[in-house]
Amino acid sequence: MREPRGGRGVLVAALPMLAVVTVPVIALAGSSSPADIAAGARHPLFVPALWLSARTTLASVAVIVIAGTPLAWWLARAAGRSPRVAEVLVDLPIVIPPAVMGIALLQTFGPNGLLGPTLAALGIRLPFTTPAVVMAQVVVSAPFYVHGAAAAFRRLDDDLLIVARTLGQSPAGAFLRVAVPLALPGMVAGAALSWARALGEFGATLFFAGNFTGSTQTMPLAIYTALESDTRVAVALALVLAAASVLLLVPLRALPTLLSRGLDARQDGPS
Amino acid sequence: MTSSVRAAFANCLRLLAAAAVAGCGGDGGGRKPLRVFAASSLTDAFREMETAFEAEYPDTDVGLVFAGSQVLRFQIEQGAGADIFASADRTHLESLAGAGLLSGYRHFAGNELALIVPPANPAGIGSFADLRRAERLVIGTEHVPVGAYTREALRRAGRRLGKEFESAVLSRVVSQESNARLVRAKVELGVADAAIVYRTDVAPGRVHAIPLPPEANVRAKYLIGTVADAANPEGAARWLGFVASATGREILERRGFVAGAAPPQ
Repeated sequence: MREPRGGRGVLVAALPMLAVVTVPVIALAGSSSPADIAAGARHPLFVPALWLSARTTLASVAVIVIAGTPLAWWLARAAGRSPRVAEVLVDLPIVIPPAVMGIALLQTFGPNGLLGPTLAALGIRLPFTTPAVVMAQVVVSAPFYVHGAAAAFRRLDDDLLIVARTLGQSPAGAFLRVAVPLALPGMVAGAALSWARALGEFGATLFFAGNFTGSTQTMPLAIYTALESDTRVAVALALVLAAASVLLLVPLRALPTLLSRGLDARQDGPS
Repeated sequence: MTSSVRAAFANCLRLLAAAAVAGCGGDGGGRKPLRVFAASSLTDAFREMETAFEAEYPDTDVGLVFAGSQVLRFQIEQGAGADIFASADRTHLESLAGAGLLSGYRHFAGNELALIVPPANPAGIGSFADLRRAERLVIGTEHVPVGAYTREALRRAGRRLGKEFESAVLSRVVSQESNARLVRAKVELGVADAAIVYRTDVAPGRVHAIPLPPEANVRAKYLIGTVADAANPEGAARWLGFVASATGREILERRGFVAGAAPPQ
């Protein structure tokens, strides 16, 4: 453990914020007995919601990594004013409330939306479907990955990329074999943040995808729904989601550090 | 060399791609889905009907969605793919029917309002008139049927308890919820010391009910209809028939509703 810089005064000033963040989680953990949690896990809403949350958030992270990596690279490496403007635009889903993003998605893909009628003519109906859940999660959580990956790409040493090119790598080869491995810790950290944000997505999903068990009712929506039948079940479900999130947090926090340690060891050679 | 890192990255991508495919997978089984959108106060009655209905029609897979009637109406307007809409008042059904989104509807149940307090009753509320004493009252928004009925009941009570009764009570409202069950949850969680819900929402042991004076109470009318572009119109017709059947009526009555096609005026 490091001594907090600035001594005890800073620690005292820092404690209230730490308490604000941790006390509700501790209170939640203490509010249910193991029997309550077991009852929550046996609730008919629980398994479909957990399974739906798992597959939609994995799909969302896949979409975000595949489509977000080129954007992050461009933001980090391109010159001129347009990447700076684009970087501000990428922030939009962070500053706009999720419920507003849900309405915006309906205005885009709904029956009277911008693209809805065209898609309907092609036989595609997006709102209130599982793909709509993924779209809502992608829109609200992509900025976290794009920012993380762009920051990692920015830290890359230009000389390494130039050397890779002079050694005969194509631009794509230099990107995949030099840039991605070096930026991996930052990319993983960004993807982890996106995943956590997608797992907690509520507002945009409720508006754009609805609340249907098995196809659009993710864990946060199941908690909201359980509140309508039995508050005890809602608390138990909330506790299970909190536990799942904490279990996610530990390896996701540790992974980028482990990855960068591995990279350092390789770059420094055996010592 | 970074081949192991690259291999790990490639494995990650493969895993994510597999998850993406799984995420877009369709639902299995050969049962035909029937999507029933219903006012949240029907939650327990319709869940029981789902079980009984599926026992009678094993080839149908009933999916229930509960929310405030105004939320369900919005979802149906946005193409949510409902087959059946059961609303706790006329307003939202008539609006959908007017837009050509509903192919007919009929009355199927009646309900009444009740005042609920936590079992410990911290504000010491013993009658409807005591509502003026509530510190933290929770009701429905004015667009959800339970909220509209609540305002009507307060107006009616004001005729006997004085004109200022309605505004005095409304000034005690600390939260307006989008459906009856969310109103009840606030009392269950102990954050409200009184709330107005339907008689059928009273959960013995979890909340304590106080009846409304007859001259203040409102008769809530539940209507049910088939959505015009229902994907499963045969299933929808069966559900309508089931709700009106002896079994359906018996379930409604046991849950505290007044079952029947013709409401007493």
